[in-house]
Amino acid sequence: MNTDLNMKVNVLPVFTYNFLHVNDSAIDASGINIEKLSSPKPEELPQGVSLKKDISFDEAGQIFRDNKDRIQVSTGVPGAPNGDTSARDNDQALRTGMGIDVDKLMISMGAKTDIYTIQEGTKAEKPIILRYNMQDGEGALSAQVIHARKNSEVTVIMDCSSEADSKGFLGLSTRILAEEGARVTVVRAQLLGKGFIHFDDLGGACFEKGAIRVISLELGGKSVWTGCYTNLSGKESDFASDMGYLCRDDHSLDINYVADHRGKKTDANMQFKGVLMEEAQKTLRFTIDFKNGSAGSAGDEQEDTLLLSPDVINRTMPIILCQEEDVDGRHGATIGQLGEELLFYMQSRGIDEEEAKRIMIKARLESVARMIPDDEIMQRVHYYIQNIV
Amino acid sequence: MADNKQVVADIDRSLYDFKDIENEKDFYRMEEGLTKETVLKVSEEKNDPEWMRDFRLQCLEHYENIKMPNWGPSIEGLDMDRISSYVRHKSDMKGKWEDVPEEIKNTFEKLGIPQAERESLAGVGAQYDSELVYHNVKDEVAAQGVIYTDLESALHGEYADMIKDHFMKLVPPTDHKFAALHGAVWSGGSFVYVPKGVKVEIPLQSYFRLNAAGAGQFEHTLIIVDEGADLHFIEGCSAPKYNVANLHAGCVELFVGKNARLRYSTIENWSKNMYNLNTKRAVVEEGGIMEWVSGSFGSHTSYLYPMTILKGDGSKMEFTGITFAGKGQNLDTGAKVVHIGERTSSVISTKSISKDGGIGTYRSSVTIQKTAKKAKASVSCDSLMLDSISRADTVPAMDIRTNDADVGHEAKIGRISDEAVFYLMSRGITEEEAKAMIVSGFANPVSKELPLEYAVEMNNLIKLEMSGH
Repeated sequence: MNTDLNMKVNVLPVFTYNFLHVNDSAIDASGINIEKLSSPKPEELPQGVSLKKDISFDEAGQIFRDNKDRIQVSTGVPGAPNGDTSARDNDQALRTGMGIDVDKLMISMGAKTDIYTIQEGTKAEKPIILRYNMQDGEGALSAQVIHARKNSEVTVIMDCSSEADSKGFLGLSTRILAEEGARVTVVRAQLLGKGFIHFDDLGGACFEKGAIRVISLELGGKSVWTGCYTNLSGKESDFASDMGYLCRDDHSLDINYVADHRGKKTDANMQFKGVLMEEAQKTLRFTIDFKNGSAGSAGDEQEDTLLLSPDVINRTMPIILCQEEDVDGRHGATIGQLGEELLFYMQSRGIDEEEAKRIMIKARLESVARMIPDDEIMQRVHYYIQNIV
Repeated sequence: MADNKQVVADIDRSLYDFKDIENEKDFYRMEEGLTKETVLKVSEEKNDPEWMRDFRLQCLEHYENIKMPNWGPSIEGLDMDRISSYVRHKSDMKGKWEDVPEEIKNTFEKLGIPQAERESLAGVGAQYDSELVYHNVKDEVAAQGVIYTDLESALHGEYADMIKDHFMKLVPPTDHKFAALHGAVWSGGSFVYVPKGVKVEIPLQSYFRLNAAGAGQFEHTLIIVDEGADLHFIEGCSAPKYNVANLHAGCVELFVGKNARLRYSTIENWSKNMYNLNTKRAVVEEGGIMEWVSGSFGSHTSYLYPMTILKGDGSKMEFTGITFAGKGQNLDTGAKVVHIGERTSSVISTKSISKDGGIGTYRSSVTIQKTAKKAKASVSCDSLMLDSISRADTVPAMDIRTNDADVGHEAKIGRISDEAVFYLMSRGITEEEAKAMIVSGFANPVSKELPLEYAVEMNNLIKLEMSGH
């Protein structure tokens, strides 16, 4: 079925100057062939994990609607930030990074959702691996809900790949509920071909001492959007994210990450390391939002971007919103080419400029790739990086 | 427990919050609202040249067509139908203090302007409501060829062409809704020209006082610092508080020539019924330096982001700012910079303090264009939260279009550190003093950039009184 996409996604939590064109991003594409509407089956289902396949997107979201008040817990103290955009996604019981237009697409297209439930106290010994081996010209939508009950642990790996020169479409939605003491790790390795349109939307909520960790490698695709919104609703809940990205040719990468601190003593740490080459364009929005009531919380967001061509466009919005006195929030960004001092040091050890660049690209991406808890996928990512540089 | 909590007091505004009753006999006040007729009336009052009258009408059209911004503080409380665009005393502008009408002179005496002029300024302009009431420049500065005059006089004199070439060229009326409004009803403000190679050793100052209730002030400041010249310009603003909204939509355009330097310092202390929708912009030629020092303490609502265009190779910009958002205030402030020339550099350093439900937002943009090879940009913004009913938000943006640039950004949000207070107390300092020292230290990077008298004024403004029970 050929579909026209007309979506507004990755909306900033607060608008800023319109002349920068960063307040949101549009997915405008016509004649997209979307045939697959359900998710791949995992190769192996770890013990203590149950799977309900092909549930409607709306029905699969019932768990979040049932818990909306706990997820969006509020002290009721008034005071929205200037340019607040939160009303736009009010209908999402669980907010996601890319926002409500992804939900609408999933529902209108009849995409099915797989629900993984991890039993209370279960520590899944093996990861759930979902392989998206896309063929040239193929289009797919896939959605999953990961419901980690109290004190459970699980890792889900999404391995998205296709031939290097292939084109197509892949849209993913992942919604996570980490109950008290539960820990969910999501690994996304995206090695799609250079003609692919791809989006990957994630929303998560953590109750007391719940934790979500996201490890992402965005290395392929032509036009890529990715978003992640984590509600740190319970006391001492935790969100950690490590992303490595590489954007080259005339490709674009558009990112929106939000850590929404609501519970006391919550912690968020977001790290982005990337490389832009040739005529690539990247927009990174990352927000730490300390809501009133999140006393004792800490948030840190850091970006380190290496620019390797005079024709790249790099946009960064590192935002901190704060309505709580007792918090510690910080962000930092370092953007530029290889420093002269570093180059000089390398050259003094017999390493020329091109080799120095290769080393630094590899260093940035492989430091994230090493976190992938599956040897085969990790090796493939290493090989992919090696080939590029 | 709550009674024992240390309190950082709000800014003491009593120094600025005195009112002079404006009567119909001495003051001319245009009817409220903004129409073609009111714009033409302002133009007639100002004895505009024809091009300026036409320009005002074009600006009114732009104002009517441009939407309100969707990203900043709410300005719903501002009703242009209740704002008078033009209020002036019926006497003419004077060149001597003794000739200024008594009630206006008293106002500026209370604000300490004549004393400051005698002691530390090269020239002073004083605006009361919509018009300048006093303008003077020291003889030795005038002898260097420095022009410091009101903009209306300059429009009709020897610098008329220069004004026409520069007026609202840097901030076009299409820029945003309130730039268009400014273009339609602007009145008052100063024109400064510093000739090639002239270094003005002591600062010039303009002071803007909006005394009338329910009125707008739309002064225009145009400064041209020619090649190799050097100037420090200080701007002060205040108003008494009324129960109706007042509006300030001024515009500042600064042209910094090759190898010239301009420092532009502002202490803004408008009253808490003021909507401060001000636009400031500078363009810097090769090797030129633009320095901003900005203190934002007053206003109900502020939109203020001085912008610098680093056009010439090797040009530089530094922005140092502090914002104090107290009860009922929503201050959205920051800076913008565009790097165009090679080897340009910018340093933005800001501090903000939020208390008693105040909203302080730091908003900025750093744009590095493809041509700006070897550009360097550094941004640092720190926010201090003094309670949990206030807001401190940072919304920076960077747009970089060359690899041959070095950009760094860091920001911190937090409260007064318990460890720092404990450390100071272990050295025999009371908790009250310790907190005061920490907050003063937080504001210090800004106050040290001001001339001594103004640093003292700023510290008075902050007046962080610590009290314990």
